[in-house]
Formats: sequence, C-alpha cells, structure tokens
Amino acid sequence: MQAETPVIHHQARRMGRSVAIQGTAGMLALLVLATVAIAARTDDPGRVDFRKEVLPILSENCFLCHGPDSGTRKADLRLDTKEGALRAKDPVIVPGKSDESEVFLRVASHDADEIMPPRKSGKKLTSAQVEVLRKWIDQGATWTGHWAFEPPRRPAPPAVKDRGWPRNPIDAFVLARLETEKLAHSPEASRATLIRRVSLDLTGLPPTPEEVDRFVDDPSPDAYERLVDRLLASPAYGERMAMDWLDGARYADTNGYQNDFARTMWPWRDWVIAAFNANQPFDQFTIEQIAGDLLPKPTLSQRIATGFNRNNRTVTEAGSIDEEWHVENTVDRIETTATVFLGLTMGCTRCHDHKYDPIAQREFYQFFGFFNALNEKGVYTETRGNVPPLIVLPRPGDNRRLAEFDVALAMVKAYGDRKHAEAIAKERAAFEKSIPSVMVMEDMPKLRPTYVLKRGQYDQPDKSRTLEPGTPSCLPGLPADAPRNRLALARWLASPGNPLTARVEMNRVWQHHFGMGLVKTAENFGVQGEPPSHPELLDWLATELVRTGWDLKTMHRLIVTSATYRQASRVSPALVTHDPENRLLARGPRFRLSAEVVRDNALAVAGLLTSRIGGPSVKPYQPAGLWEELAGGAGEGAYIQDRGPNLYRRSLYVYRKRTVPHPMLATFDAPSREICQVKRARTNTPLQALELLNDVAYVEAARALGQLMIEAGGCTPEQRLVYAFRRTLAREPSAAELGVLGRGLDRYLASYRTDRDAARRLIRVGESPPDSRLDPAELAAYTACASVILNLDETITQE
Amino acid sequence: MDELKIAQHVNRRLFLTRAGVGLGAVALGSLLEGEGLHAGTDITTPKRARGGAGAGAAASGGLPGLPHFPPKAKRVIYLFQSGAPSQMDLLDYKPALESRRGIELPDSVRMGQRITTMTSGQKSFPVAPSVFKFRQYGQSGAWISELLPHTAGIADDIAIIRSMQTEAINHDPAITFVQTGSQLAGRPSMGAWVAYGLGSQNQDLPAFVVLLSRGRTDQPLYDRLWGSGFLPTRYQGVKLRGGKEPVLYLANPSGCSSPTRRQMLDDIGALDDLHHAETGDPEILTRVAQYELGYRMQQSVPELTDLSSEPKSVLDLYGPDVMKPGSYAANCLLARRLAERGVRFIQLYHMGWDQHGDLPNQIRSQCRDTDQASAALIKDLKQRGLLDDTLVIWGGEFGRTVYSQGQLTATTYGRDHHPRCFTIWMAGGGIRPGTVLGETDDFSYNIVKDPVEVYDLNATILRLLGIEHTRLTYRFQGRDFRLTDVRGKVVDRLLA
Repeated sequence: MQAETPVIHHQARRMGRSVAIQGTAGMLALLVLATVAIAARTDDPGRVDFRKEVLPILSENCFLCHGPDSGTRKADLRLDTKEGALRAKDPVIVPGKSDESEVFLRVASHDADEIMPPRKSGKKLTSAQVEVLRKWIDQGATWTGHWAFEPPRRPAPPAVKDRGWPRNPIDAFVLARLETEKLAHSPEASRATLIRRVSLDLTGLPPTPEEVDRFVDDPSPDAYERLVDRLLASPAYGERMAMDWLDGARYADTNGYQNDFARTMWPWRDWVIAAFNANQPFDQFTIEQIAGDLLPKPTLSQRIATGFNRNNRTVTEAGSIDEEWHVENTVDRIETTATVFLGLTMGCTRCHDHKYDPIAQREFYQFFGFFNALNEKGVYTETRGNVPPLIVLPRPGDNRRLAEFDVALAMVKAYGDRKHAEAIAKERAAFEKSIPSVMVMEDMPKLRPTYVLKRGQYDQPDKSRTLEPGTPSCLPGLPADAPRNRLALARWLASPGNPLTARVEMNRVWQHHFGMGLVKTAENFGVQGEPPSHPELLDWLATELVRTGWDLKTMHRLIVTSATYRQASRVSPALVTHDPENRLLARGPRFRLSAEVVRDNALAVAGLLTSRIGGPSVKPYQPAGLWEELAGGAGEGAYIQDRGPNLYRRSLYVYRKRTVPHPMLATFDAPSREICQVKRARTNTPLQALELLNDVAYVEAARALGQLMIEAGGCTPEQRLVYAFRRTLAREPSAAELGVLGRGLDRYLASYRTDRDAARRLIRVGESPPDSRLDPAELAAYTACASVILNLDETITQE
Repeated sequence: MDELKIAQHVNRRLFLTRAGVGLGAVALGSLLEGEGLHAGTDITTPKRARGGAGAGAAASGGLPGLPHFPPKAKRVIYLFQSGAPSQMDLLDYKPALESRRGIELPDSVRMGQRITTMTSGQKSFPVAPSVFKFRQYGQSGAWISELLPHTAGIADDIAIIRSMQTEAINHDPAITFVQTGSQLAGRPSMGAWVAYGLGSQNQDLPAFVVLLSRGRTDQPLYDRLWGSGFLPTRYQGVKLRGGKEPVLYLANPSGCSSPTRRQMLDDIGALDDLHHAETGDPEILTRVAQYELGYRMQQSVPELTDLSSEPKSVLDLYGPDVMKPGSYAANCLLARRLAERGVRFIQLYHMGWDQHGDLPNQIRSQCRDTDQASAALIKDLKQRGLLDDTLVIWGGEFGRTVYSQGQLTATTYGRDHHPRCFTIWMAGGGIRPGTVLGETDDFSYNIVKDPVEVYDLNATILRLLGIEHTRLTYRFQGRDFRLTDVRGKVVDRLLA
C-alpha cells in the first residue's frame, strides 16, 4: 500500500496547481480509502492477520537486513522465519507483550539511534503499521508461513444474502466480498455485448453479425453456455490461448542477440496451439514442455514440446566466451521456468540468497543442476538458424525429394560426370538445409558438475562442493526415490502437492478473462508479491483445476459462464472512485484488446482475415527500412514483406524479430520476447492512434469494410452504417451515434466528390485491389467512415 | 469543471498508472503530456483544439518529489559512439608505446585478464602504438589526436574521462549495460528512467527521442537499448527517422487530406464521448486525448525536422552532411532542435567504431563523419545559451586493445574489444569544463588513477539532472530496481 500513497499526493499536487476545485479533499480521502480496501478482509475484524498484515510489513521493512540472505544479515537477527523471529534465546518478540518486545520497541522508537528501520534506509513504518505490529504481538504473535508456499485448502463457497445471483461457486466468493463491502453487483450485460466479449476473449476474433443474430434470438435457457462450448471447440481458441503462452515462453523467430539471425521454432508454436485445442491436461502440458524428451519412449510431439526451454536467446557474436553464455542460457531457463510455473523470482538468488523469499543461493544452483546437462554449446559463433540439439521435421514430400536427389546423383556419378555431380550435391545440400527443424531439449550422456557460482559469475565456481539437482526447501520436496533429473522436476511442478503451479496458472487464466489476476503480480507469488484480492476464490480455483484433471477448457468455461463474468461493464462515477481497477468485481471486465487481437479483430471485421493455422511465420506490412537502419538488418538483411493471403494471417504468426519488434505489435505493448513475461502493460498512447489511423494495414482494412458496406450492407447510407457498426461492435448504434456517422459520411462524400484524385489514391492503399466497379468517391467516403468505426475506443476494447 | 469531471480525471490517471505494470507507476509519461489537466486541451469540450495548442515549456509529468536537488541539467543529449572507439588513437595519448612497438604485451600488464575468443587464439599479442599524432589543446592542455581537430577546438568546454571501465567484453551485453545498467535484456533504458522520473517539458513531443545513424563497419543496435523494460511502455524512446516519415505512421495515408483527417477525429471523438457517457470508463477520455496529441504531433514533428529555417552559418557549422537526412551531422542538428523544444532525453547512436582490422583507415573516415558535428553541437548549444543546462555525453561501450588484432605492420593494425579502460567526454549541464579525469598505464590497458564504472557515470548523469540515483526506483517482481542497480558513486570531480 505504501507504494501507492504517492499516487494520491501526486494527483493532489497536480490538481491543486491546475484547477481550482471544491470538495476535492473529500474525494481524495475517499480515494485513499478505496486504494487501501483491496486486500481481503479477515473473518474476525479485531484480530490481526499475520500473513496479510504483518508479513508484508516485515518483508518490506526488515528483510533486507534481517531476512533470508545470510551474506548481508545484520546483528545475526532473522525475522523471516518463525525460528528467527520468535527465538527463545535473546528474544526480540515476546508473544503477548509488545512492551517487552525489542522489535516493537525499536520500530516505535523516536530515538534516531534506536529506530528501526534505520533512517538511512529511507524506510519508515507508518503509525498504523506500528499499531498492527503491536496488536499482533499482544494477540500472541501467531506465526504462519507465506500463504503461497502452503498448499491450497479447498474452501466451501461462502453463504451469501442474494442467493439468486450466483451461477457457480465463483460468484459466491465474489458476492460474499461485495456484500461485506456493501457494494451491489452489476446487471448482466446485453447479449450483443456478451457474445462480442466472450468471442474476443476465447478466440481473439469478433462474432459475425449472423452469429450475433443467432445468439440474440436464441430463446433457449442455455443459449450462452452453448455459445461458449462452440467457441471453446473452435480452433481459434488454441490460437488465442497460445498468444499468452508464447509471451511466457519468450517464443520468437530470431536468436535475439547482436546479429539476431533467423531460427525456426514455429513447429513448437504449432505444438502449443494444438495442445490447447486438444485440451491437453495442464499437468501433461507442463511435463512435456519441461521434460518430454525424458518420458519413456517419447513421441515426436513430446520431444517438440521441449522447445519451450530452447526459446531462450542464443549468442552468435564473435568473440563471445562459451562458458559465460552456457551459464546465461541456463539462468534464463531457470528464470523462465520459475516464473511461468511457480510465480517465483528465482533470478534474484543467482548472486546471493534471496532478499525476501526463503530461497538460498545454493538452492538456485541446485535448480540450475536440472538444466545443466543440456547438450548444447553456450556460443555458436555466427551459426545461422537452429543450433543443436534439434529435430529435423520433413514436410510431406521432403524425403521423396531427397531420395530423388540421391538417385540423380548416383546416375550422374555412374556416368562419371563430376561437374554435374557436384552441382546436384550442392543443390541437395541447400534443399536439405531448407527442411524445417526445431530446437529441443536433450541431455548429455554425462552430466556437467554443478557448483555455486560466486556472485553469479560464470568463472567463479565454488568447486569445494558439487551440488545435486534439487528444488527449493521452502516448497515440498521431490519424492525420495525420484531421480534427480528434469523429468522429476517436471513431475514435481505438475504435482497436486505443489502449492504454486495450479494457483499460478489459474491466476493467469483469471488475468486473461478479467484483465488483472486475483494476484495482481502474476509474475511474483513470493513474499513481496501482492496478496490475492480473493484468496479463497484463488484456492478454490486451484483445487478445482486439479480436481478436474487439470482441464483448462472446463476452467475457462466455468469462469466465462459465471455471473461475475457476465456482468455489464458500465461503471458509475462512485464505483470508479471506489474501485478504479475493478478488483472487487462489482462490474464486468472492460479492457483494451491485446496487440494481436487489435489487428486480428480489424482484419476479421473487414473480411480480410486468412484463417490458416500454423506454419512458418509471416511478414505483413511493415514500414520500410526498420531492419536496415539497425545496421543493415544485421544477420538478415532487409525485411521482405509477404504477398497475398499471408498479409492477412493472424498476428500470432507475425514474424518476431527480437531486436526489432514489429511496431504494430510493440506499439500495443506486445513484449519483445527477449525474456519471459507473464503480464503485459496496457498503455494508451498517441502512437497507437497514429498507427490505427495511418498504418496501411488499417487503411486497407477500412477500405475493405467500406466496400462491404456498399456491396453487402444494404441500399441506404443508414443501412450501410448500421451494418458496419454491427460487424465491428456487434451492437446496434444509437440514434445519436448514427447521426454522427451519417453527417460524417455526407461530408466525406462531398469532399471526395470534389477531389476524385484523392479518392482514387485513398482506395488504392494496400495490396488487395478495390472493386473497380464502385464509384471511387463513394468508396473513399465509406472508407473514411469505416476508419472512424475501426478507430473507436470500443472497437479495440473488450467490453 | 464540475466535481464529477474532476473525479473522472483523477481516476483516469489513477487507472492509467495502474493499468500497466502496477505498484509505483505514478507519473504520466513521455507520451501523455498535453492531455487532460493542462491548459490548451480541455478533454471535456467536444470541439477540440485544432492543432498547435498546448505547445509550451511547462514541465509536466514526472514523479512527486523530483528532482531531488536543483538540477544543473534540464536535458541530456547522449552521443553514443557504437562499436567502441579506440581510446589510444583518439583521446588517451600514450607516447611511451612507440618505443615498445611490436613487443609482446607483458604478462605483468595483462594479468591474466580475459580476452575475447576473436584474439584468444592468437599466438602473439604485439603492441601497436597509434599511428596518429597528438597535440595539447586549450587551457586544459588536453592531449587530442589529429583525427579530432574539431573536438580539439572545444577542449576547454569538455571534460575528458580516460578511466572509464566496464564489465562486458562483447558488444551486445556491453551496450545494453551502458544504456540500461544491466548486461542482459529486461531493464529500462536510461532515457526511459529519466522520462519516468522527470516527465516532459513539451506537450507536443515525446520526452525521450532516439536518432540513429550508420557508420562504415556497423555493429547492429537493438530496440531494447531505448526500451522501457519493466516500466510502462509509454516511457520508451520514440525513434525519429530520416526521410519523409520521421515518426512511424505519422503521415496521413495518401488521399486523406488534413481537413478530412480533422473531420474523422471529430467524429471519433464525438462517438467516443457518447460511449463514455454510456459506460463511464475514464479510459475512453484518455484515448480521445491521445488521438488529439497524435494529431498535434503531425504538426510538431515535421516542423521539428524541417531544417530549411536554419541559417547557412549554422548549417556550415555542422558540416557538409548536415542536409543528408539520417546522417550523424543532421542528427546532431536535430538534437539541438529537440533540446530547444524541451525534449528531456535525446539519444543519438552512431554506428561503425568496431575496427578489428585496418583500423587507421577506418577510424579516419569514421572521425571525418562525426568529429565536426559533435563539436558543432557544443558550439551551437553554447552560442544559444543552451549548453549551461544541457548535458552532452560522447562515448561508446568499451575500449580497444593495445595489442594488434591480426598482423601489425608499419601502417596498419586492428584492435580487439577491451573492457578495462576507455575514454569518453562530457560537456555542459553542470560538468566542470576543461577537466581531464583519470589515467591509464603506459599501455592504455589498466586504469592507474580514478576509475569510473558505468554505474558511476550513470549516477553522475542522474545527479546532474537533479536525481539522487538511489532514490529513482521502480518496484518490479517485489524489488525496487534502479538504473544503477546496487552500485554507483557520483563522480564529484566532474561537477562544476
């Protein structure tokens, strides 16, 4: 909470400067209240909750010097463990007696030499925090571990007053909280809003007007549930879910350092899409990606799955030192694996013990040990493309083609024609190189020994002790009889006994649907992460995931069919003030579409989208020169744009060059995929406006939509405007909206009729030809109108 | 404005700052200026300002409590020389090398330090003295190579630091380290930190602008160097490109006239306002304001990049390449124009300093491309009174080896990467002019006096901007990150 207070001060300062206002103080006070109210309440209002109230104070203010890091611990005092904080010898906390507890006396002190934290740390407890500590000690100083490291217990859904509202247990948890807060839930969203919301959410594509009509007119009581089932069965579901997963897995089409050569990891990307579509259980999905190669008799698909941990960047820069980058690659795999599956910031323990979480540096290198056997070099200097270990994946016909080369070669050789033989051999080699491959995990026969690296330096191993691979001791251990290898790690990650994996995954699923996780810090479930807004709900969801056999489609269905999700997103000024981030869920989710969906939505609305699944990545329009200006495109030369249908493929297939991300994606906050990222920012900038208004991709989409308006939208301008509006937003425009659009259309028509040359130029933007039978001025006017609709805030928002 | 509208403003801001990365994100960033509460654009008025509004020098955005000290510099121009300029051929004069020409680099100098695998296989490490002549210049008596006659002319305006050192030995990690404080990807760049901390001084331009130019033997650059890392993406640098579209997607599409575009924006705004009335989400109003800022940038950016109003005397100062869009000279002049307009952080990159072989020839042309314009920028800022509060930094990512990479002959040699010492210079914005700081050994191999780490340099840059480097932090993954990590000492001797 501390960190948020400056927001308020800042606002106050700026508002005070900019505008004379009355009644601001009251409103700000309300805001302060609103921002502190998010953390979940305890059952007994008088009782201090250790995990939610005390531990965060200790972590934020004390652990830096009295925490897990033995290297920097002061006064030999440890406050992050029960044994340390409640030690019997020289006690610093005396349960029941705050006035005899050194910890309390020091934080409450006014003496500059006595006070803790020391003044030079820049930290200071508020009087409310001091009071929390006093009460906690006086109430007996009950110590419990960090919530996320203890197994989720399945709570019974709470009783609620408004028993008619909940549709499933999710709603009981949400409503119980709303009732405590004395807030009302929102009514259900309109059917048009619902179908657009859930279609974009589950498939990343908008519903067609026909689909909208069918749903709106469907009288059956389970119309919505059937709609959800249809969407979950759509292949577009796997594509949409893959988009999030690829961020965490830092998937890209280039190796990411320096010259940034091309690689082919798309077979792994296609595996992810297929796995989501087949609804592979999440435990299997986990095991195969971490260690599919070590499963008994692994299938090709299981081996491809391990590409997950080959998506890291790899170095080709001349002069680089092999061992240095072997370590960096391995560290990246640890950070990624720990973030994606455990929500832990293991990278912090590379150089020293963790400052907040009970993870020792030694444990980092034990985790390192699981990945230390990979049969790869740290540096493949100037090697282009995929580097070993890899699997070659011949396409249909590739093997036959190779055989044909061999036959030809044999024949030419038989005639003693050396010159031709050489030419054919060369051609064969080039062809063989063009057969796609994918990088995978594969261990060396003999393991590399693992040591602690002093200060994390590759050339500073502490060889006094060889480490055995292992998991952090703050979490349940590996089974005693398990081999200490990646497969054991994978099974441990995906075991129901792991307190983190199911919670972390369900939190991300929730984040997907509501724009923010129940734990806002999706990347950090450690002590410094934010506690969940609805801890019981999170635990219920985590146990439900395990109970259903890690069935993701069932979990998505559960969430999107809840009354919570189906609420309208309309918000009153009072509620915006009280809960600006919608943490309490008194309204439905409303947030900007992610980068890929912004574009896919426009392409679909315009009727341009190519819906082919998978295959090599594609290169749609991109402003000229972007690669060249960073040193001639370095390893790849210029960007060579695709032609035809590949211009309109879904955005998850867009070629990801890590050192020069496609601006269309980067502008809307898609990460560069250099490192693992499980949560995206969601900014709102003028560059986004310029892109949607001026990028050839969106101008062409506007023209295609304009053309559809004329050709399929009806005879009158009004019919056509309604048609475009419904295609884009699923709902009917209001009279006022239609008025704005109609008046705009008249002006665009007048303007393009006087400047037919401008009209002809506008409709020729993009590679798809305009319908030559149409009047250019009319088409240009409708293009402008369509562009207005494609640029609405609502168009790029999941309402 | 009535109270409801104000509540919406406040919440919109609150919403915005939270919508992104989370706790601690406070300020409105580089791209959000001119929005909302400033005079000039009242977002609650349906008819909007038609361009040009809001251009002003009032500082806005930024964190509360910043700057921590009265700033000496209000803005930064960083002339990054990518590829690593050879210190002993430019600014670190080593007369004692000539007598050692061709001898093996003594082990007592190398001390077992690591070298790159490009030369670690060499059988011999012959000492290669510079073929270039040095002279002392100015009152400071700084030794400067004949390759840099124009820089020599500003010797008394700059502070030369001959004792820079870094931890990285290859380009990618080394540039990433200088620009983000970490060798690996993921941290915000210096410009993003500054935009985040101090906000913008211009409501029609981004707070952090990047300009690139190509050299002769180019090492690639990466978008991450001006990225925002874990800071909200709005703080990332906006690249200004040579050519007719300096900002991506800035120009209206062919066939879309300015009045048509204005009409479209009015329609979009009207429809967004209607929808806001319906749904109440303050984010919609922010979007409307951003569309207006985008529209204003369509005027402010072309005006910025149009050099036709510059008098001939100024153009001559920067040299013959100045009218070539995308050249280093043109970018230096643009940097001055950006500085005049209050852009907070102006980051130039010039590629081509990676001279592993044929160094004398290559560095000669590299200096011809850059020397005059670098010096011209200092003179031009000075004559406008802008140098006093504009900090200029010239430097690369590491140094080069005294031993020759490849064969040493009487006229040519190459030099490999050398992290243990390199030379940079700084000027203006609170820097003590005419200073020469630090000393290296006779081989320009090890530092013997006043070493300056990259962390120290970055701490000093922040200090000059009025920022205590340990107090500009951002909470991510449960930890407060900063540009200088857990290191950094301000180099007091550089301060005026």
